[in-house]
Amino acid sequence: MIIQDVLSDAFFAAIAGIGFGAISNPPVKAFPYIALLAAVGHATRYFLMTFAGIDIATASLAGAFVIGMGSLWLGKKIYSPMTVLYIPALLPMIPGKFAYNVVFSLIMLLQSMDEQAEKIKYMDMFFSNSVIAVTVIFMLAVGATFPLFLFPKRAYSLTRHKK
Amino acid sequence: MERKKEALVDVGEFIAEYSSYMMGCGIHTSRVIRSTKRIGEAYGYCVRISILPKSIIITLGNKDTHDYYSEVTEIPSLPISFEKNSLLSALSWETHDEHLSLNTLKEKFQEIVAIPPMNPWIVLVLASLANASFCRLFGGDWAGAGIVFVATLAGFFLRQRMTAKALNHYIVFITSAFVASLCASGSLFFNTNSDIILATSVLYLVPGVPLINGVIDIVEGHTLTGLSRLIQASLLIVCIAIGLSFTLLLVKDSLL
Repeated sequence: MIIQDVLSDAFFAAIAGIGFGAISNPPVKAFPYIALLAAVGHATRYFLMTFAGIDIATASLAGAFVIGMGSLWLGKKIYSPMTVLYIPALLPMIPGKFAYNVVFSLIMLLQSMDEQAEKIKYMDMFFSNSVIAVTVIFMLAVGATFPLFLFPKRAYSLTRHKK
Repeated sequence: MERKKEALVDVGEFIAEYSSYMMGCGIHTSRVIRSTKRIGEAYGYCVRISILPKSIIITLGNKDTHDYYSEVTEIPSLPISFEKNSLLSALSWETHDEHLSLNTLKEKFQEIVAIPPMNPWIVLVLASLANASFCRLFGGDWAGAGIVFVATLAGFFLRQRMTAKALNHYIVFITSAFVASLCASGSLFFNTNSDIILATSVLYLVPGVPLINGVIDIVEGHTLTGLSRLIQASLLIVCIAIGLSFTLLLVKDSLL
């Protein structure tokens, strides 16, 4: 079931967004919006990767852009800057599995210096995982910040109470 | 009604404190500059700011009388707070729109600074739940999510305790990553995806806010502060990797 998969992905992303957001003290009234944005963004990426066959970097860019636009729209409701909503919402998309593989392959590389085949295998694993991890993080930040360049006037006055 | 002109020195001292506080609690550079200028200009002064990784140079001037006030302030290292980010930004707009007097502004600023952080126990449980659902997102099963929950609870609790004791944060990160991954390596006794569980158990430590702030700063042209944030974040990630690798060295034979 496509819908069920996407919904369960969105649900866990929402919990992850709330929890990782809580570490950085967001305003309490921002939590529902953070959860919503995290869910929509992560589900977008999941859908694009699983059912449209798009690679993780492009799908992350798309997911982050959706989160950025959402934060521009919702930020005005609680007078909070875009970053307050979109940084916690982006956190569940941080490529943790790739980052872990970088560490794992580095250790294994150091342990297998004498065996040529093993060494090349772990070097390859180290390089490809680092490239993916760095690219995805960059794409996440750029995708979510992009709406700020499109609508600078609205983005800069989100915390203004007067119309 | 003509507004009472606030003294150059008083406004200058206030905005120096305001801007360094904002930088300290994890706000990206362009917002700090915008908000600070907005306040200075609301009092009729022109503001020039240069932000460096650990300090801020600020000059406030009166174009009519050619009086200038300049100050270099250090950026304190404070816990990241999105709530203060919102409120401090809103305060600059309020000053701009409502013509607050400097005394009222200072009072409101002190109120915002005094806001206590969230209850650490709630944060502990929420962060553990978040990490457990992260495990599910990566394709772990319910048992794995349970193990990650417990591992995060242990690691994050240790991090909170050690941070409260003001230990060096590199040591805090290495120890917390080691403890969390060691707890997670308990999954090797069960028939689960141990590598996913080990990978997710340390993710609560990833400094996502400086990472994303760093990229935002660089994209907006504040390369120096952006790079410095990214370097700080990378050092913390290296610490997580060190903590994790202690565990991996202990258990790698059962992982392969």
